[in-house]
Amino acid sequence: MTVSPSDVTLSTLKPGEAAHVVALDSKHPLRRRLLELGFIRGAKVDVVRLAPMGDPVHLRLGNTDLALRAADLVGVTVRRS
Amino acid sequence: MTASPPPSPRVDEAACADTVARLRAHREPRTLVVGNPNTGKSTLINAVAGTRLKVGNWSGVTVEKREAHLKRGEQTIHLLDLPGAYSLSPHTPEELITRTALLDEAPDVLLNVVDAGNLERNLYLTLQLLEFRVPMLLALNLVDEAKNKGLEVDAAALSQELGVPVVETVGVKNIGTAGLLDATLSRAQIGHPLRYPEAIETAAADLEDKMAALATLPPHAYRYLALSLLEGDPSLRGRLSATGHTPLVDAADAHRAALELGGFDPLIEIAEARYARAGDIARRAVPNAELKLTLTERLDKLALNPWLGIPIFLGLVLLVFRLTFTIAAPFVDLIGGPLQDVASGWAVSLLGGIPLLKDVVVGAIIPGVGTVLSFLPTLLVLYLAMSFLEDSGYMARAAFLADRTMRGLGLDGRAFIPLILGFGCNVPAVYATRTLERKSDRVLVSMILPFMSCSARLPVYVIFSAALFPKAGAWVVWSMYVLGMAVAFAFAWVLRKTSLPAEGSGVLLELPPYRFPAWKVMWTHAARRTASFAKRARTTVLATVAVVWVLLSIPAVNGQKFGEVPPAQSLFGRASQAVSPIFSPLGFGNWQATGALVPGFIAKEVVVGTLGQIYLGEEAKRAAPLGLVAGLQQTALSTWEAVKTSVQALPTLIALPSLGADSSAEQKTPLAKALAKAFTPAAGLAYLVFVLLYTPCVATIGAMQAEHGRRMAWMTVAYEMGIAWVAGLLVYQIARHFL
Repeated sequence: MTVSPSDVTLSTLKPGEAAHVVALDSKHPLRRRLLELGFIRGAKVDVVRLAPMGDPVHLRLGNTDLALRAADLVGVTVRRS
Repeated sequence: MTASPPPSPRVDEAACADTVARLRAHREPRTLVVGNPNTGKSTLINAVAGTRLKVGNWSGVTVEKREAHLKRGEQTIHLLDLPGAYSLSPHTPEELITRTALLDEAPDVLLNVVDAGNLERNLYLTLQLLEFRVPMLLALNLVDEAKNKGLEVDAAALSQELGVPVVETVGVKNIGTAGLLDATLSRAQIGHPLRYPEAIETAAADLEDKMAALATLPPHAYRYLALSLLEGDPSLRGRLSATGHTPLVDAADAHRAALELGGFDPLIEIAEARYARAGDIARRAVPNAELKLTLTERLDKLALNPWLGIPIFLGLVLLVFRLTFTIAAPFVDLIGGPLQDVASGWAVSLLGGIPLLKDVVVGAIIPGVGTVLSFLPTLLVLYLAMSFLEDSGYMARAAFLADRTMRGLGLDGRAFIPLILGFGCNVPAVYATRTLERKSDRVLVSMILPFMSCSARLPVYVIFSAALFPKAGAWVVWSMYVLGMAVAFAFAWVLRKTSLPAEGSGVLLELPPYRFPAWKVMWTHAARRTASFAKRARTTVLATVAVVWVLLSIPAVNGQKFGEVPPAQSLFGRASQAVSPIFSPLGFGNWQATGALVPGFIAKEVVVGTLGQIYLGEEAKRAAPLGLVAGLQQTALSTWEAVKTSVQALPTLIALPSLGADSSAEQKTPLAKALAKAFTPAAGLAYLVFVLLYTPCVATIGAMQAEHGRRMAWMTVAYEMGIAWVAGLLVYQIARHFL
């Protein structure tokens, strides 16, 4: 999967939307951890909900529920499914 | 996604046979228990090892070390439970411990605990563990929970794919745990390690050859080390460089550079290969995975709801405090009142012939140590409630809800939990900072924690507001809590700008599925934490109380006998008089007020006790002798009363607490009257602010020292004395114009 112009960052997705991971920014502060938790190319991510004040974001990756801050979602490029 | 390569057939049969032989010969095979966080590992280990589980700290770090020696027939097994880890490239002190143990502890067997309901992600760590040439046994835990989700895991297929035996377990219900140990020893196998793309395998083989030529690194770890170096694991590079393996690190870097030149990032390729394989195994082992809407999702719709989430959170916090105080309060009164009276009575009967010893026991040790021990019920209930919230998975949700608020301080949502705990008692709160990933965050939160007004300070607020602010007592108490929080956040902001800048960035929380916690695990955690608090009462508090008693007994005026001086003429009184001018600008320059602050260092509620002792004379010495039988009767009766009161209070739990609830009752007490005479309202307010903000109690300082070292603990004491003095001065100088 290579980045195409229609791809967006994970931060632009709204609750209820899902996407597949296309790329992870090489300077992302959580790069290693995200890879280990399954943010690999092709993995499906669901945006479940936002925290009460709009941040952080509750995500589901496979059977794992995670929370990441919107700022950390900018470095994840995804393709809407 | 790349197609997964077939499982490697190169199981080293010779090595396997060798290791099994070594196991048989080894008298105490070392079994390392490894697994992801939230896989029910603690519960499983408790079921297997039970009371034989010894808990300590890893040397130099405050991460729990749990080990047990278990007899199986003629053999002793040494079980070492490692902290939960998502992977072996360490991000937290816990993960670093796990990896270090795998490298250094010469493991004979790995017991890998896997959550059956989250197989794919758990297999990532499993595949990493298979890179060690150590026999492994896989405990497929929480199979019941997986079934409820609609996941039926085929253990035989999983075993076939990985090449290691698989035992199905349910830790909470003790299913499959009995045979686990026997299976660990006799059936553990070196499984099928994953084969990576050829370019990586070639590079790894070269590095392994270089390691074999060195003979300084443990052979069981060659493959893991080679692959981690190719991934560029920074902490491993550091460790190897520091131990004289720079040529190896350089060789790995050269391989990495060459691979990256070809557009091949080893970190990504290895992660993808592992997930591809994990997904492949998961599909074979769980052929028709069809997830049902789980209980967790339904609960989260409420608990994380944009409108209800925060009210539910605040409601739960309130409930925990109500629970803590309502259930525990009668027992606190029991230990602090009737039981102490009985103990004093017995002491008088027993030691009546030795007046000096009688006085120190009845006048100092029983009330001093007793007051501290009277907090044990509160702590036990608080720890149980907190364990419940933690083990049930709710605390992670609380962190999610609080994250936005904590961001201004460069902290994340998890830091909110210790601060909330601080309202109950600062001591467990300091230990709760362990859940934070970054060291600077742990130190920062610990340093601001003592400003969170703990329950021991409440008696001081209550009696002063009853004496000086009969109409506005509730507001005075409330404003102390708010002021404490405000100072905590302001101090945190200053620390962030000066000595403890925020490290790194990026916040990731896992929201584990909700579970009903195992009662046994909750109980063991809570009992252990409470016991360590009780231990301090036996040591530090006992010593301090004795010192204060001695100081109150030494006459500072000629012609008086030891133990028979009025407090004002004792060494304690004279010393307090000498120091009291420091507090004159704060409005309470009388020696009684100043002197009472000193024992407040042991536990803040002792401030009230000492004020009582000084103002109201020497009632403690007037305890009447008591027979054994009468004492036992009195104890049984009071205990029954406490149980009854506690149970009767249960229905009132949901009622809102009223601030300064007891102020009207306290109003008539002799101490309140004495305080009303001795303090002006402005001075009383300044005194309360000082009590709120000055040094944390000895137990908290001890906890800080244990977690972050002596220097940090004493720095906090110093800072807080300064802040308390300045705040008291401001409050007095402003308030005296209005009150």
